[in-house]
Amino acid sequence: MNETSALALRPHRLRAALAATPGVAYILLLMVVVFGATSKHFLSGANLLNLGMQSAILLMIALPMTLIIMSEGLDISLGAVLTLCSVVLALMLVRGNGLAVALAAALAVGFAFGLANGLLVSVVNMPPFVATLGTFGMAQGLALAVTDGQSVVGIGDFVQQFYEGGVFGIPVPIAFALGSYALSHWLLYHTRFGSYVFAIGGNREALVLAGVRVNLYHIGIYAFGGCMAGLAALLLTARMNSGHPTAAIGIEFDAIVAAAIGGTSFERGDGWLFGTVLGTFAVGVMRNGLNLLGVPSSLQVVSIGLLVIVALFVDGLKQRS
Amino acid sequence: MPPDRAAPVLELRGISKLFPGVRALDDVSFTIRAGEVHMLLGENGAGKSSLIKVLYGAYQADSGEILHHGRKVAIASPADARRLGVAVIFQEFSLVPFLDIAQNIFLGREFASRVPGHIDHRGMHLEAAKLLELLGMDVDTHTKVHRLGVAQQQLVEIAKALSQQASVLVMDEPTAALSEHETERLFKVIRRLKQEGVAIVYISHRLAEVFELGDRITVLRDGRKVGSLAPSETTPDELVQLMVGRAVDTSYAREFCALPGELALETKDLGSERGISGVNIEVRTGEIVGLAGLVGAGRTEVARAIFGADRVTHGEVRVFGRPLDGGPDASTRRGVALIPENRKQEGVALIRSVQDNLLLASLARLFPRRWFDPAVGRRVSVQKIDELRIATPSPLRLVRYLSGGNQQKVVVGKWLSAGCRLFIFDEPTRGIDVGAKAEIFNLIGELVGRGAAVLMISSELPEIVHVCDRAYVMRGGRVAGHLTRAELTEAGILRLAMHHE
Repeated sequence: MNETSALALRPHRLRAALAATPGVAYILLLMVVVFGATSKHFLSGANLLNLGMQSAILLMIALPMTLIIMSEGLDISLGAVLTLCSVVLALMLVRGNGLAVALAAALAVGFAFGLANGLLVSVVNMPPFVATLGTFGMAQGLALAVTDGQSVVGIGDFVQQFYEGGVFGIPVPIAFALGSYALSHWLLYHTRFGSYVFAIGGNREALVLAGVRVNLYHIGIYAFGGCMAGLAALLLTARMNSGHPTAAIGIEFDAIVAAAIGGTSFERGDGWLFGTVLGTFAVGVMRNGLNLLGVPSSLQVVSIGLLVIVALFVDGLKQRS
Repeated sequence: MPPDRAAPVLELRGISKLFPGVRALDDVSFTIRAGEVHMLLGENGAGKSSLIKVLYGAYQADSGEILHHGRKVAIASPADARRLGVAVIFQEFSLVPFLDIAQNIFLGREFASRVPGHIDHRGMHLEAAKLLELLGMDVDTHTKVHRLGVAQQQLVEIAKALSQQASVLVMDEPTAALSEHETERLFKVIRRLKQEGVAIVYISHRLAEVFELGDRITVLRDGRKVGSLAPSETTPDELVQLMVGRAVDTSYAREFCALPGELALETKDLGSERGISGVNIEVRTGEIVGLAGLVGAGRTEVARAIFGADRVTHGEVRVFGRPLDGGPDASTRRGVALIPENRKQEGVALIRSVQDNLLLASLARLFPRRWFDPAVGRRVSVQKIDELRIATPSPLRLVRYLSGGNQQKVVVGKWLSAGCRLFIFDEPTRGIDVGAKAEIFNLIGELVGRGAAVLMISSELPEIVHVCDRAYVMRGGRVAGHLTRAELTEAGILRLAMHHE
């Protein structure tokens, strides 16, 4: 529209806008161009829809991960907790419970793990990496124990029907992703909780001096992560039409990558929620595009590692200039 | 209703606070009255900060009581202090870098909107803008705080305290970072608050401010109240005299250097990225030269610039006649040792042995063929242990089990074995108990006796006066003056450091 031409007329404003755009946006654009040119399926409507649906679960983990990292934390248990929630959800359904009860159970498990992580980090004062490494092992072990390492099948058709349905014409997974983004955005930018996320990472002492019950909010950040894992378990279970004890292994890695390349800082209490959305797409596009090109999944992991380094390098260059 | 001027809002009675080895506050009584600016004075470590911390609940007094409008209260946390109407403008900023100005001002007191949980951003920005206008600050309240300069951050900090509509406002050196214009603006606000009956406690190192603003002055020294006076009854000189004269341990008196040797260190118009500028310092072998000044005057920054730990932006450093540039490793190769204030983090490896620490900086020299020879290592470390009389049962004892004084000796021994001849000590007696201090100074005296040169940073005025051959005094990132042995007195240093000649 007119806005672009206005920008073009003012080169200094254009330059400022370019400088303000994080590296991940350029990388995303570049990938879309490259994959679009090399694979004729990549830009097809079906593939783009597929891309969005695949990215939904990752986004639902990456959003709380962003808040956690902003608070100078980390949660490497989220993948395992998501897996455990999915297994619990499937088991509940197999035993004949309704979807609402099963989802409540999954949410409760996620919340409990988030609560445990938050307590260990804020009250016990453990390094987040160590604390969540512990709960990671517990969640993963429990998921294997309750399933005997087998997939939980026979959960009925209605979960899959639900997954394939739509809300106002929007496919359910994408509606979940949009809803999660709206919720996270509201929490981070429009509530006390969100302000305190910035403060816990940026200057925790300031909150203490302001008489805020910091631990409560600190625990809340991790509990939010656990609940989001519980909710994402619904999508995961539905997509596979079963509960599998190793289903979401490593998704926490992708989530950390998405937040990091989206511009979330690991030590200053700085973050940009929409950057995480772009980061999630970058990871999704990378995997999707490489899949279409027939690149084996081991090499996809290598490319995602490379993606982090390139994205952060670009941001580093821009910060210096 | 006009506020009752005479009525004390807060009264501290007989407050004492002990830390291991230090009596931070000793039976201090302090009355804060409505509509009065109460100046709190004292040199570094006199107990001002401790008193403030008791006031806002960061410290609990070991004895004594606090009265609020005549009623006994306990201030067990910052939240308690806030409930009693105490607000503090901190010197170390209590701001969150990636929140905007309005969010920072109202941190912990966000405005609620009608939607549950929702913050009323509009209302907060409106209020914040009013506060900034009052302070004469023309900045958009949506600006994130990390984008502001130090002076503007200080103003936000002030706005934050003002927004609490406190009845007691504590200001810890609020003008330290402000320009003259901003300072005037702040004074206007302070006078207005005074009229409105707010009680103000004001810590300052600028004597001019004390007389311009103060209604009452309390002077602390060694954690004790040494004077409580009205500005009209006193003079700047009397205040300086009250502040100095701390208890002195004379057991480390030394013979001063009569004939300094060659020029070991020379800085010419030195400036660094950390805000020092125009620094000209000379140190000769055989001399202990003091670098005095108030906390934040730029002393450590000078040491870091000389050593190459901060980037030098102007001027040059010459060591033993040749220019020195390059990082810390270049400096140590040229025989310069920096013994930092934070010994446990930067000076010694606590979980390694005395021997390991002593050899750490000279491995390449002792073992040129890169092959560690235990016999040589043992011999060299035992020799250093004897030389410096380090009290350790064995060279293999872990450094963490040694006393602070002996740890300091290990650090010095490390640089001695590396062949260093210019030693820069940053607060060498910080965290060392009284008995061991004399030992440290004997050690420093021995160093110069053997032909080394020493530059010593200290916040303890008596240390500078009793140990140093002469001293430079810093203020605001520059050298404010030089005092020869004959001129070196505590009052003389303080006058230069506080800008009152």
